[in-house]
Amino acid sequence: MAEWPDRKAALDGWRQPAIAAGPPALIQAVGQRLLHSACLLVAVSLVAFMTLRALPGDFAEVLLTYQMDGEIPSAAALAEFRSENGFDAPILQQYLRWAAEAVTGNLGTSFRSGDPVAEELRFAATATLWLTGVAFALVLLAVPLGIVAALNAGGWIDRLVSGLAVLGMAVPNFWHALLFMLLFGLVLGWLPSSGYGTWSHVVLPALVIATSSLGVVARIVRSALIEQRRALYVRTARSKGAGSIRVLVDHCMVNTAAPVLTVLGLQAARIFDGAIVVETVFGWPGLGRTLAEAVLNRDFPMIQGAILLIGSAYVLINLLVDVAIALIDPRVRASV
Amino acid sequence: MKTSGRLGPILAGLALAGVVAPLFAPHDPLTVDLLNRLQPASLTFPLGTDHMGRCVFSRLLHGLHITPLAALVAVALAASVGTTVGLVAGLMGGLLDRIAMRIVDGILIFPAFAVALAVSGILGIGLWSIVIALAAVHWADYARLSRNLAIVEREQPYVWAAEALGMGRSAIVTRRLLPSAAPHLAVLATYSLSWAILSFAGLSFLGLGAEPGTPEWGLMIAEARHHMRAHPLLIAAPGLAIVALVLGLNLLGDAFADPDVRRRGRRQSPSSRVAKLGDA
Repeated sequence: MAEWPDRKAALDGWRQPAIAAGPPALIQAVGQRLLHSACLLVAVSLVAFMTLRALPGDFAEVLLTYQMDGEIPSAAALAEFRSENGFDAPILQQYLRWAAEAVTGNLGTSFRSGDPVAEELRFAATATLWLTGVAFALVLLAVPLGIVAALNAGGWIDRLVSGLAVLGMAVPNFWHALLFMLLFGLVLGWLPSSGYGTWSHVVLPALVIATSSLGVVARIVRSALIEQRRALYVRTARSKGAGSIRVLVDHCMVNTAAPVLTVLGLQAARIFDGAIVVETVFGWPGLGRTLAEAVLNRDFPMIQGAILLIGSAYVLINLLVDVAIALIDPRVRASV
Repeated sequence: MKTSGRLGPILAGLALAGVVAPLFAPHDPLTVDLLNRLQPASLTFPLGTDHMGRCVFSRLLHGLHITPLAALVAVALAASVGTTVGLVAGLMGGLLDRIAMRIVDGILIFPAFAVALAVSGILGIGLWSIVIALAAVHWADYARLSRNLAIVEREQPYVWAAEALGMGRSAIVTRRLLPSAAPHLAVLATYSLSWAILSFAGLSFLGLGAEPGTPEWGLMIAEARHHMRAHPLLIAAPGLAIVALVLGLNLLGDAFADPDVRRRGRRQSPSSRVAKLGDA
């Protein structure tokens, strides 16, 4: 039987987005996100710049005192130090000078160790990327878990997911870290309880970070999928003769992708929040521990560098998530 | 939910119990007694003593007046600033609204705990700097919610009626918009209170808040961690206290978020139309 072209087009109509969104809309959407991100980057750099300038007292004096190992500098030396480093210039000029230095990787020296801030941050960022990368990969397990929970609502996996989500929102992560360390590190002795360098050191901290996010993400995947499965288009697709697997994969999952991506993007921030405490507990030399120690020791150049690095990283992550959503979901493109 | 009618009295009772609890502490929470250090649980010391010989149970009860109270102050600060900004932005609209919401969006993409850590680092170590840091991070959530509520509500007939009756702008905000936004703000407030408690305890654990020796729950766990192998009760007790408190608050938030509970509490408010908005 010959296919009736009009009928086929009508049946395939669901494939077409409601509003035709061609490449120009996509470029416009991405362009707007880029502009927004650029503004945010400038804001982050301004906050980082002001960190040092907002110090109580004269910050040039603080810097020079530190460089002279705590000796109070004379007025003449202070004036010379100021003009040498341009600290007597207008604040905007100082900012531009500082930003140009920061772009080339010069973030000053740490008060505490005397090493260049950029060097220390580079090492810490590698350690943190390792830890949070493993943790994020574990959090991704929430997606299949959430799908299974949605398909068997009320089943034991569903109840497990709900329980994990409730606990994940109520258990303080530092306590969680200590309990895991006590159980798996000290009592059972399966894994090293602290340290850095091998894969066996990563498991415990990554597990702590991941388990506190896993349930929350899985529950969001679950509720997004359940909502989509109730939608009228599912009935339409079924009545056209699409099988349940096809409806699930081609119809429902495509529609849950955008909210799930948004949540995963937010989890990237939550994972770093977790990493601050977990790195401190497990002695992992990452960015979180570096920031916490810099704050405790009032190591302002290090705080400044960490704010700049972490802030820029999250501007970038946010941009990537936004662009990915715009690529997946035509409605987001059209709404620009 | 059938228990919702009894929610009010139960809450009031719990809050009162929290306020008077330190009066029932069997010992002074700060008295160091090195002869009685690391004692197991007994009748004299219901939860044993810590590495300085201080009564853990008494410290736990006194801790009720530190973490939850500080979190409450932080949330109150964040809520009042955020709601004001959000309502003004939503009602004024235009450029002001766009700028305010860009700032709010900007704050929300960063890891909240890290931002609070950095802010308290700039402000210096102490309880108050943590409170201010938590509020500085958290006002954005209130601004976003109340702005969205204001945009929905300002087009409602009851607001037009108030305008037609000659009600001033500030009266419309305080007597019409704020009451209808209150249930949604209450939901956010319970969740953000539990977040503030966790973050406050976390920052204290890192050593940024209370002075060493203060019976703050996060700090108690930090000080006891070196003895946790031999004396797990020392970290279990304050940890469970935090979990119980936060779990209770989250359940309370779930109850508030349930439209049935809200409707029973008050006559159907115009804001139930935006229930979905508030839950999002």
